Amino acid sequence: MISVKNLCKQFDTTKVLDNISTDIEKGDKVAIIGPSGSGKSTFLRCLNLLEEPSKGEIWFEGQLITDPNVNINKIREKMGMVFQNFNLFANKTVLDNITLAPVKLGLMSKSEATDKAMELLTRVNLRDKAYVYPASLSGGQKQRIAIVRSLAMNPDVMLFDEPTSALDPEMVGEVLEVIKGLAETGMTMVIVTHEMGFAREVSNRVMFIDEGIIMEENTPDKLFNDPQSKRLKEFLSKVL
Amino acid sequence: MNEIQTKFYNAFIVKDRWLLYFKGLGVTMEIAVIAGIIGIVIGCIIALMKLSEPKKGHKHTIWWTIATVYVDIIRGTPAVLQLLIMWFIVFSSSNNGVLVASLSFGINSGAYVSEIIRAGILAVDRGQTEAGRSLGLTRGQTMKEIVLPQAIKNVLPPIGNEFITLIKETAIVGYVSLSDLTRVASQISSRTYEAFMPLIGAAVIYFVIIKVLTLLLEALERRLRKSDLR
Ligand SMILES: Nc1ncnc2c1ncn2[C@@H]1O[C@H](COP(=O)(O)OP(=O)(O)O)[C@@H](O)[C@H]1O
Ligand SMILES: [Mg+2]
Repeated sequence: MISVKNLCKQFDTTKVLDNISTDIEKGDKVAIIGPSGSGKSTFLRCLNLLEEPSKGEIWFEGQLITDPNVNINKIREKMGMVFQNFNLFANKTVLDNITLAPVKLGLMSKSEATDKAMELLTRVNLRDKAYVYPASLSGGQKQRIAIVRSLAMNPDVMLFDEPTSALDPEMVGEVLEVIKGLAETGMTMVIVTHEMGFAREVSNRVMFIDEGIIMEENTPDKLFNDPQSKRLKEFLSKVL
Repeated sequence: MNEIQTKFYNAFIVKDRWLLYFKGLGVTMEIAVIAGIIGIVIGCIIALMKLSEPKKGHKHTIWWTIATVYVDIIRGTPAVLQLLIMWFIVFSSSNNGVLVASLSFGINSGAYVSEIIRAGILAVDRGQTEAGRSLGLTRGQTMKEIVLPQAIKNVLPPIGNEFITLIKETAIVGYVSLSDLTRVASQISSRTYEAFMPLIGAAVIYFVIIKVLTLLLEALERRLRKSDLR
C-alpha cells in the first residue's frame, strides 16, 4: 500500500533521514520505536508529505506521490494523521471539527457527515461532547476526537505520531483502547510510540529507527525478545 | 469679566469659534477613518504577500520581496515627509486635500497593520494548519476556515490601538494646510494672541476621544478573552 524507496530528508545541513526503504502492506500495523530525535516523526510526516522529502520516492496505492504533479490534497484524504498535541480546531465545535473536511471537500453532504460523526462519537463514548468546543475537553477526550476526525474521512491508512505522549498517565489507557479497537477492524496503521507494551500487543511489525535509519525491523516477538543490534539492546534496556 | 473668562470667551465663544474646533475635529476624524480603512485593506494584502508560499527550492516569493521593501521604506521614513511627498509630488494636481492626506496616512498605516496581521496569523498554532492539511484541505481552505477566524481575535485589539495612534498622527496635516483640530487651535491662538485656551482646549478634545476609544477597546478585549474559554 505504501512503498518507500531511498527516502532522505535533510533540514538545511542536518541529515535526519538517511536512505530509508520499506513497504507497508494493506492491513499492516507497523509500530515505530526509537530514541527521541532519531527521525521517527520526520519519517511519518514524509509519508503524507507534511515534510517534503529531500530525495527518494514514496508510492501510495500505486501512485508516485513525491511526483510534483500529484495533487497531494487528494492523497491526504486517504491518509489520516493523529498528532501528539491533538491539534483540534479551536474555533470549531467537536462536531464541526469532524465534519469540516468531508463536507468542504465534497465527499459527504452536511447531514451524511453529521450522521457519520455521531456514529463515530458514540463508538468512542463522546456523543455528549458533540456541541462543545475543544478547550473544555480533557487531553484524552481531545485525542479520541482527533482520531474520530481522521476516521470520518474513511482513510485507507492511519498515521499516529506519539498519540499518548502528551497525555496525563490516567488518560493513556482510554486512547490506546480506541486505537486497539481500530486495529481490530483491520485498518492499516503506522504508529510512532513509546508505549512498548502497546506496540507489542497491536503491531505485526516493529521498526527501530535510530539516527535516521531503520536499524532493525522484525515481528514484535523477535524484536523485543531477541534484539540483534547493540543500539536496540541499549534502547530496550532503558525503556523496558 | 475677569481675565480667564475673557480668554475663554475669545477662544471659544466669540464669532461662534467653538464651531471651528468641531469642524477641525471632523477633518481629523475623517482623515483617520478613511486612512484606517485604507490601512486595513493594504495591511491584509501586504500580510498575505509576506506569507505567500515559495516554490520548491526558493526561500521567498516575489510578493514577499515587494511587500518587505514597502514595509521597510514606510517604516524607515518620517510620516510628515511621506505626507509632503504625496501632496507636493505625487498628487500635486489634486485639489481634494483630505483624500490625499487619507491616502498618505493609509499607506503609512498599512505597513504597520500588515505586521500586526502577519503576527496574528503566525500566532495561531501551526499544528492546526497541519491537521487541516493532513485531512486534505487546501492551504486556502485551511486559512479561511481555521486560521483566519482565530487570527482575527489576535489582531483586533492591536489594530484598534493602531487606529488610536492614527488619530493623533493626523495632527501633522497642518503642514499641507488642512484645517484639522490641531491647526484650527493654532490658528485661533495666533489670531487672539493667546495660546493657552485654544491649545489646551484642543488637547482636551483629543484626550476625551482617545480615552473613550481606549475604554471601548478594553471592553472588546475582555469579551474576546472570554470567548477563548468557551
Ligand atoms: N522543521 C525542522 N527543522 C530543522 N530540524 C528539524 C525539523 N524537524 C525536525 N528536525 C530535527 O530532526 C531530527 C529528528 O526529529 P524528529 O523526526 O522529530 O525525531 P523524533 O520524532 O524521532 O523524536 C531532530 O534532530 C530535530 O531537531
Ligand atoms: Mg517525534
